[in-house]
Amino acid sequence: MTGPRETLVGITDVVKHFAGGGNVLKREKRKVHAVNGVTLAIRQGESFCLVGESGCGKSTLARTVIGLNAPTAGTITYRGQRIDDLTPKAMAPYRRRMQMVFQNPYASLNPRMTVQTILEEPIRFHFPRLSRAEVKAKVEEVMLSVGNDPHWGSRYPHEFSGGQRQRISIARALMVDPEFVVADEPISALDVSIQAQVLNVMMDARDQRDLTYLFITHDLSVVEHFGSRVGVMYLGTVCELAETKALFANPRHPYTQILLAAIPRLDASGFRHTRLAGEVPTAMDLPSGCVFHPRCPHANARCKAEIPALKDQPDGTAIACHGIEEGRI
Amino acid sequence: MALLDVSNLNVEFPTRHGTLHALRDVSFTLDKGERLGIVGESGAGKSLAAFAIINLLSKPGRISGGTITFEGQDLTAMDTDALRSIRGNRISMIFQDPMMTLNPVLTIGTQMVETLQAHRRISHAEAKRIAIAKLREVTIPSPEERFDSYPHELSGGMRQRVVIAIALLTDPSIIIADEPTTALDVTIQAEIMALMLDLCETHDVGLILITHDLGVVSEVTQRVNVMYAGRVIETGSTRDIIDAPKHPYTRGLIAALPQQNEAAQRLNQIPGSMPSLDGIPPGCAFNPRCPHVGERCRREIPALRALGEQQVACHSAEEVAALAGNGGSAS
Repeated sequence: MTGPRETLVGITDVVKHFAGGGNVLKREKRKVHAVNGVTLAIRQGESFCLVGESGCGKSTLARTVIGLNAPTAGTITYRGQRIDDLTPKAMAPYRRRMQMVFQNPYASLNPRMTVQTILEEPIRFHFPRLSRAEVKAKVEEVMLSVGNDPHWGSRYPHEFSGGQRQRISIARALMVDPEFVVADEPISALDVSIQAQVLNVMMDARDQRDLTYLFITHDLSVVEHFGSRVGVMYLGTVCELAETKALFANPRHPYTQILLAAIPRLDASGFRHTRLAGEVPTAMDLPSGCVFHPRCPHANARCKAEIPALKDQPDGTAIACHGIEEGRI
Repeated sequence: MALLDVSNLNVEFPTRHGTLHALRDVSFTLDKGERLGIVGESGAGKSLAAFAIINLLSKPGRISGGTITFEGQDLTAMDTDALRSIRGNRISMIFQDPMMTLNPVLTIGTQMVETLQAHRRISHAEAKRIAIAKLREVTIPSPEERFDSYPHELSGGMRQRVVIAIALLTDPSIIIADEPTTALDVTIQAEIMALMLDLCETHDVGLILITHDLGVVSEVTQRVNVMYAGRVIETGSTRDIIDAPKHPYTRGLIAALPQQNEAAQRLNQIPGSMPSLDGIPPGCAFNPRCPHVGERCRREIPALRALGEQQVACHSAEEVAALAGNGGSAS
């Protein structure tokens, strides 16, 4: 990455609640607080990774950014233009510029469509004026660029392996020449040797097309390899935001430290890691104050009462932690 | 003599389109208290190799050759009743998804007492006492209350701890764990693995850990079998194999991990994917993906042979081993 670049996607104070849970008979209105006030700026050309454990709201945030969910509060901007309140028709040109790759390539490709149809559909929708030959040439070009044989067009998704399918779904996202790709756990369902193939395809596409990625994952070793910046999420809030190198060299937030220590490493034996107290609370009953305080080894009275803001640090990272702010940690 | 000795195990699935050979000549041993990893990608036969031991093969799969000797008895020659006295008793299992393992309509306590009473003639009160002791051992808070909980009332990590407690109920000498932490978050995985490691050590229980995660294998096991397309292609001490793999597949697998690669550079990838059982190529099954492939590899199936401290099934193992010697896994 060369120097700071302009903000492509702006996320400001985004909140997303879902109605749900509770007891149907008692008509309790309980909410799932999936995302609770996240502010982030994704810069042009970067590979921004959101990392966290299940239920931390990373996928919800990604789906909100791309317009699959409307935010409960807050705004999303794309090149400075607010997009979260647009009508479907006004949103259409942005949908072409923002594409998504899903986790499970067995579920995200229509089993009744041939690969050719799957790949042609987005381009026919967004560029209805293109001729048949132009569409066909485009399909061929994109299939080749993701390392798939362009002659596979007449086949159906079930005829392919997991890795090939995920490359088809990447190809589908690339068909309309997007600028911004949201990838939600794109390699989690794949085997190790295939993960490397798919990550390589994604990195090649980034270099060839100057793509900006929002990459959602729970796998920190992938983040370390792929990401330029990382946001660590816990229970719907970002607790640390940093350049990838800085985060892995010097994790600051207590949760980030525990998360990094938990990665199983090839050069280690024994799994003698810091044990977290308690279990992850649910997003239905958020803890008061800092959401991490019930499990944090450094929590005090202030952490239980007051929600810490994500504050910029002198070294360029941003951390939401009273302990760090007070110099206790 | 080893506690468990699997020798030349073959498992096949007769189908309408011919017989599929899911396991071929799989041999390994497990000593008392030893921790063995079985790694490989989906379809390599790693779960099958472990579950064939206690004959948990789904039909029409069957053991078509080889012996499995456990405490001096051949398990393949046993009838169902005799095997039942070993399965779930002397050899316990832990599966991937605790929600699927536990019965959702029975309390944890009922399931634990049921397990104990299936294998021992003891009173309900005695079974309950043992169950609560085991729940305490797997660090479940307030086990007396949890005894009456239903599985859905517990978190994923807690459920997997209950499954571990059930596996330990009958004081088994071997636990077979099939991807026990794959469905869990990384911090919970670390807790569960630390707990399993601890329990295996304190009770001197042997562990067969099936996983695709080389990091987990490295942290937990002492020896490892690497499987590919139904065969063990490399075996030896975990440290030796991770530090100096001698099979091109093992080497490729380790080299493909993001941890092993320079950040932001293309990863070392293995081209292609593992063949399905009905499409295994002649000769070495890995030959279409192998960077060291020679004419002999396309003809002749390599046998597992000793090379240094480990065993490897590769015609070019010496060549690969020499690479591992200079400069680790970078290729």
